[in-house]
Formats: sequence, C-alpha cells, structure tokens
Amino acid sequence: MLLVYVLKRLFWSIPFLFAVSLVAFALIQAPPGDFVTSLAATLAASGDVVDQARLDALRERYGLNESFLVQYWRWISGVLRGDFGQSFEWSQPVSDLIWERMGLSVAMAAATLLFTWAVAFPIGIYSAVRKYSIGDYVISAIGFIGLSIPNFLLGLVLMYVSVVWFSHDASGLFSEQYQQAPWSWDKFVDLCKHIWVPVIILGTSATASLIRIMRANLLDELHKPYVTTARAKGLSEWKLLVKYPVRLALNPFVSTIGWAFPQLVSGSVIISYVLSLPTAGPLLLQALLAQDMYLAGAFILLLCCLSVVGMLVSDILLALIDPRIRYR
Amino acid sequence: MAHIRRALIVAALATGVSTLAVGTAASQGAKSEAPALAALVKDGKLPPVANRVGDEPEVVTPLKSVGRYGGVLRYGLRGSSDFNNILRMTGPQGLVRWDLGYTKVIPNVAKSFEVSPDAKVFTFTLRKGMKWSDGKPFTADDVLFNMNDIVIAGALTPLGPRYMAGGKPFTVEKINDTTVRFSFAEPYGDFLAELASPLGQNPVLYAKHYCSQFLPKYNDKIDDLIKENKQADWKGLFQSKCGDLEISARWGNPARPTLDPWVVKDPYVGGATRVVLDRNPYFWQVDTAGNQLPYIDQLVSPIAQDVESLILDAIGGKIDFQLRHLDSPANRPVLAQNRDKGGYEFWTANAPGGSNMVINLNLTHKNPDLRELFNKKDFRVALSIGMDRKEIIETALLGQGKPWHQGPWEDHPNFHRKISTQHLDFDAAKANQLLDSVGLNQKGPDGMRMWKGKPLKFKIDVIPTLQPEQVDMLQVIKRQWAKIGVDMDVNAVERTFFYQRTSESNDHDAAVWGGQGSWVPGDIPQQIVPVHHDSRWGIPWVNWYKTGGKSGEEPPASVKERMKLYDEARGTADPAKRKALIDKVADIAAEQFEVMGVATSAPTFGIRKKTIRNAPDAMVSSWYWPTPAPSLLQQYYYAN
Repeated sequence: MLLVYVLKRLFWSIPFLFAVSLVAFALIQAPPGDFVTSLAATLAASGDVVDQARLDALRERYGLNESFLVQYWRWISGVLRGDFGQSFEWSQPVSDLIWERMGLSVAMAAATLLFTWAVAFPIGIYSAVRKYSIGDYVISAIGFIGLSIPNFLLGLVLMYVSVVWFSHDASGLFSEQYQQAPWSWDKFVDLCKHIWVPVIILGTSATASLIRIMRANLLDELHKPYVTTARAKGLSEWKLLVKYPVRLALNPFVSTIGWAFPQLVSGSVIISYVLSLPTAGPLLLQALLAQDMYLAGAFILLLCCLSVVGMLVSDILLALIDPRIRYR
Repeated sequence: MAHIRRALIVAALATGVSTLAVGTAASQGAKSEAPALAALVKDGKLPPVANRVGDEPEVVTPLKSVGRYGGVLRYGLRGSSDFNNILRMTGPQGLVRWDLGYTKVIPNVAKSFEVSPDAKVFTFTLRKGMKWSDGKPFTADDVLFNMNDIVIAGALTPLGPRYMAGGKPFTVEKINDTTVRFSFAEPYGDFLAELASPLGQNPVLYAKHYCSQFLPKYNDKIDDLIKENKQADWKGLFQSKCGDLEISARWGNPARPTLDPWVVKDPYVGGATRVVLDRNPYFWQVDTAGNQLPYIDQLVSPIAQDVESLILDAIGGKIDFQLRHLDSPANRPVLAQNRDKGGYEFWTANAPGGSNMVINLNLTHKNPDLRELFNKKDFRVALSIGMDRKEIIETALLGQGKPWHQGPWEDHPNFHRKISTQHLDFDAAKANQLLDSVGLNQKGPDGMRMWKGKPLKFKIDVIPTLQPEQVDMLQVIKRQWAKIGVDMDVNAVERTFFYQRTSESNDHDAAVWGGQGSWVPGDIPQQIVPVHHDSRWGIPWVNWYKTGGKSGEEPPASVKERMKLYDEARGTADPAKRKALIDKVADIAAEQFEVMGVATSAPTFGIRKKTIRNAPDAMVSSWYWPTPAPSLLQQYYYAN
C-alpha cells in the first residue's frame, strides 16, 4: 500500500518538475536584459568600463540572442544528460558550484531545525499546560517579539553590537585560519563556535510560531473527554500528557519537515547574505541578480526536487504518527 | 580637498616627471628579499634573488622611504563580479603604465619603448632575464603568442579598435628575444595610452608555455582536456584556466603564471569565502636599495555578500585599505566617527575632471516630435539656464562643487572654457523667452508648455544606486524646470534595465550619467563625440561609428566631423597636436551644446590603516588610471 502510494507520488512529480523547470527558466529570464547587460551594469556601478565588442562576444558565446525556447531546450536537454552547464559568471561547471556549498547549508538547516524543536517543543507544552500563568505570559510575549522581528534586522543589530561593543565578529561560519583549511576536529569546533549565531537568528521566528501552534493544538486536545477519562482512571499527569495529546499536537511539527527541505537552500538567503555565510543561499541570490541562468536554474530545480521529496516524507511521517490519516 | 589635488597635478606638471621616479640600473640589481623567500633560497628551493628578478629589474623610487618586509593587506571583496577589485590592487601589469599624476605613460613590463615619428611603429624593449611567476622566462615569444594567436586571431574576442588603426589590424614582429615591434598601417598616437589602460594588457596577459596548451592550435588532445574539466568548448576551457581581462576566472586558477606583484593562492571562485594572494617570488621590481618588491607579504580579502557589512569590517579594524564599495558620501560620518577604533585614516580620491552628472537628451529619439524639439539648440540652452545650479549644489550636493557642464577642470592642460562654462547662469526670463521662440508658446491648463498640440512631457532615466545624489539633483531640477513650464519626470530604473533601455535599444527620452573625465589619451570623450555606448545622446550614431556605417544611423555633419577629428587625434603622437585636435572636437561640441552638466564632481574618499606608509594622500579615481594600482601598492609597507 505504502509502496504503491510512494511510487505514484514519485511518478507524478516528473511532469510537475518539467512544468516547474519551464516556469523557473521563464522567471529567470523575465527581468530586463540578460547576463551580459547585468555584467556591464555591475561593472559601471564600480566605475569600471568594459568593451562593447567583448560584451557582444560573450552574448554570442552564451547564445543569449536566441529565442527563449531554444535556450530552454539547450539547458533542459543538458540537464537530462546530467550536464547542468557552465556558470557564466565563474566559468565553472554548475554542478561543482552547487555541491560545494550544499554541505554547510544542510548543517545549518539541520542545526536550526533541532534548535527550533528543542526549544519550541517543551515550551509549547509548558505554556499550554500552565495556561495564563506568569510563565505563559512571559513566553508568549517573547514569542510574539520573536515572530515580529525580521531575521535580517536581528542579524544586523547583532553584528553591529558585537563589532562595536565587543570587538567580536559575528559574521561568517569560520575563523580566518580555518576558512580554507581541510576538515579537522579543530575546524569542527570552530564551526560550532560560529554557527550558533545564525541558528539562533533563524530559529527565533520559527520557534515562536511553533510554540504558538503547539500551545493552540494542545489546548484543543487537553479539554477533550478522553483526557478527562484518562485522568479519572488515575493515569499520571506526565503519561497522560505525552501519550495522546502531545502526539496529536505534533502534527504541525511533522508537516513542517516538508518545508524544511527547500529551506535548506532558500530559507536563510537573506540572513546568510547579511552575515556573509558560505551557504548556498547567497550563491542562488547572486545567480539570480546576475542572471547567471544555468546556475540559478539548477538551484531552482534543486529547490523544487527538495520540496517534492520533503512533502512526500512529511506525508508518510504524518500517516505513521496519526492513524486517522490514510492513503488514498 | 580640491587644493590637494591641484597641488598634485601642478607639481607633476611643473616638473614634467612623475613623483615616482623610474629607471633601470643593471648594475644595481636585486640585493635583498623577503625573509621567507631568503629561507627558501637557503634551502635550495628557490634560485637566488638576483636570478629571479633578472638582469634589468625596474628600480622603483619609493614614494617617501625605503620600506620593510612583512604584513598582510586586507581589503573587502564583493561576492560576485568584483574581479576588477582584485585587478586594481595587483595592477594590470601591461607593457606600459600611467605615472602617479596621470599625465604621462611610462614603461612597465617593457624596459623602454620607442615610437616612430609618424606614430606607426612602436618598438618595445623587454627586460633581460625577466620571469613569469612560476620562474619560466618571459620573452618576446610570449608577446607574439598573445598578439598573433589570441588578439589578431580574434580567438576570444573579435579584434577591436584598440588594436587597429585606419580600420586595419597591426603586425607584430620579434626583433630578438627582448625586442618586439608593433607596426600599424596608419598613425596611432594613442596606442601607448590604450596599452596603459586596464583593457590594454593583452600583449603580456598570457604565458605562452602554460596557456598554449589550451589552444587547439598547440594541443591535438585538447578534447580530452575539455572533457576532463567539464567545459563545453575550448574557449570555455581556455578562459577557465587562463582567465581574461575582465572575468572572475582570471583569479580562479593558482597555477596560471602572471607578472603581478602578488599571485593567487586561495582563488576567487563561486564558493570562496576569501581570496588570498601571495607575493610573487619572481616579481621584477626592486626599490632603490635593491630590495625586491613587494614589501607586503599577502593580499587577503574576505568576501562580503553584502557590501554594507564592509563598513562593519572597517570599523572592526579588519580592513587595511579600501576605496571601492565604501566611498559613498553616506558612509563618511560613521567611518569618521569610528576611525580610532578601526585604526584607519582617510585619503582622497579625486575625479580626473568633469562633473558628476551630465544630462543626455536623446537627440536620436524614436518619436519624431520629441526628436525635433530636442534637436533645437535653443531648447537645450533654455533648459540649461532654467536650472538654478547654486540651489542644486547647496541642497542635493551639500555645498560641494561648482557649476560646470563637463570636461577637464581649469588646472588641467585640456581645460576648454566654452564647453565647461557656457550657459551656466540661471536666467528664468531668458529661458522662458527661448522656449517661447522655439514653438513652445502654448501652455496647458496646468501651466505646462504644449508641443505640437500635446502637453510636453519627457522622462530622464537614472540609476539610483550608481551615484545616489543624481536622483536628488534631478528632483530639484524637475521643480526648477516646472517653473519655466517644462514637465520632466525622474525615471529611476534598475541598472540592468537602464542599460537595456538606453544603450541597447535607444528607447529613452533622456538619461543622465557621470561626466567624469579629462580627455587624456585612452579616456573616451563620450560626451563631446558619440563613440561609446555611454554616449546616450546619440546611440544610433555610436552604432554607425562602430560598424563603419553598416548599422545605426548616419549622424549629422557636425557629428561626423567630430568623429573624423577624434580618429585623427587618436592617431596623433605629438601631445600638442593631439590636444589641438581634441580642442577642435570640443569647439564643435560647445557650439552644438548637445550635452549639459550641473556641477564639478566632488572628491570621494578611501580608508587606510594609519601604519601604512608610502601611500599617497590623494590620488585620481578613475578606471583608465585604475585606482589605486598606479600608486604601486607593491611599494606600500607597514611601519612597526
């Protein structure tokens, strides 16, 4: 049953991905100009000048004068053969560029997810069980503040404060001596010393919203007759809480796993940009801004694949946790 | 601040030589080197310094004092398309370069040069025993490879006007291992200046022994290399390995031999978080005491995705030297406030001349009605004297600068009074009278003038991020022009869109652009003759000029005359004659008055660590004098 369901879902994702690739390619091309115009404009912004002949030669080489469909076909036929093309900007194969940064993105997203859960889960339960207590009010207040502060602002303030008052640098993921060094235990420790800043910044808003969802869901459950019955039967408060109401209230956590996958790349774009983190997000943003089509296209395809897979995973997990949900 | 600049130029002009004296003393040679290199020599891993720099190194007179070795120079790099930032630090090491004062072209990689009296033949003598950064000899064969196999063959880019005269390419011959001769069919006096520009490095860009393996002509098995490196064609392979003038990959391959003072260690690639350049052990310059340059060990640049975070880096003391990305007036207060904390001081970057905004009405407008109006000189004069420049300077420019159209300033030899200072005085009455006289005497109910029965309205395109003050200036101008009944809209557009709308498709009514420049050789005078895609007052004319009349639109006689004079000036070697020809171009441009400006360009600023020595307190800010490279960063050093 499960296997058939999974296969069916996977099959349908193929035409879906095709449609998405077409839309993505169209969107990347939608802004005025192309990579070459954007290059000339970027250079002019720094007072540099480029020869028109050189620009024309670039446009010719990359086939930017051709029609949309021809360009799309050239790209997608390469992708089908496993060739994602060249990044115009870096003269490097797109596949090399993407994987280089994905590792740290995964690490950061995983750390953020764990942090969010580790904080939101107990606090959400606490504030539901101790509804309208002082603790609940304090947590709710902090939660709302966390929800309403934009991530990037928090990042900027934190950076400014740490540089101006503590002479400490909050940006980046590694100290200078480890940036180009091969992986070692020391480098890992150094990463841990740095990664908490973006993790907390990214985690605050997610944590706040999960606390509120957990609280609301749990409150719904806590007043259901089965809870009263269980309590009347003398089940301990802890067991009573964890066995059924919390399990049901977990649904939102599990459904968000699906979103977490594409968040690996796109979720932290702005904060990574502000903090200069070496993750995939800024590379995607740059590729979009520079209209580096193959690089941006590959990223967007990857995002879509991750979304498809993520949604599938969370659907399966949901069904495992909540017996009321059935495959059809 | 202007007087510093003036002093600089006057000093340079008065003495007729650059402040950084240059010479070659074979007998002097190199006597000393960086401690790290000396240790390598001792271990037998590196040849002695005298062998490395060759028999005829360039002897650089340090700006103030002979320096000491050591230290790291940190500067901020943006995450994308910032390759020219690195280029401006190492310097485009071409055959020749500009001197410190931006007045004279002097030898660089070449030991000396000789120009024939008719300016058709250029003979360059190379330095004996000079080496690439990997220790292989640099000879005339490298120049021939670059010119014949790459440039003249049009291997990467079609042969451009830089290497042509009279529409014909040149020939290069090797006289002997250290002498090459470039011969043109027509006189080409600007050739040296073109070679001194960052875009004129071609003759010595690629090392033949390394880069030739990526050309099909020299490598039969190139297909294997292409496949191995996951490239689409040999051009992609070549550029990814050997780079090009303006491309990220130039700094992406540590194995590529160069002639730069520092060479790539941690490359500028897509995933990089910082770029590191190490000293070139074979660098071919020494100071007057025989110490091999550079003094500073490393150039290190953290990559900031967001250039705003560079300000924080500066305050935090993590930037040692920076102009680019930092020099906007808005950053000045916060940088000034924190200068003690960051341990840095300011230096001045002056425009070479001209103004920070010229207004280009589109004289080749696609709409015939607007085109007819814009082409009336009296209309343009009315717009110019309908501007109260004093008010604009006091409000939008915070009092910096004085009324000016374009062109070099009074203290520059190329100064042209008429084109810079005519029609500057505000005179609303006369402006109204002129507007009435060109047929704009009907006014609509809103008080705005009518043209051919319709309300007159046009937009001026501007890129708000380029020079932010331009938008403020235009807002004031819009109000001032409304008072004389001219309805103008400020059209702030994203920079890519701006390029597409103006230079590529000629869809604009009008556009503004920075009018900095001093018309020295190599600096394209695009606001007095339409020969460049930044001449937004006649883009189809530019295309006509560039394609030799094949596309675009034939310009009027006065423009054609100027194009002819400009070509002639580019061919003239005698500076006085060249100046006379450019003067003639300016005379005609002043008579036609196609382009108007507002105010002289105000200086910007860079920062540098207080412990840095031998860096000038003021320098020109320009692309053709690729700031700060011609101040020779290799002779900067750190005091104890």
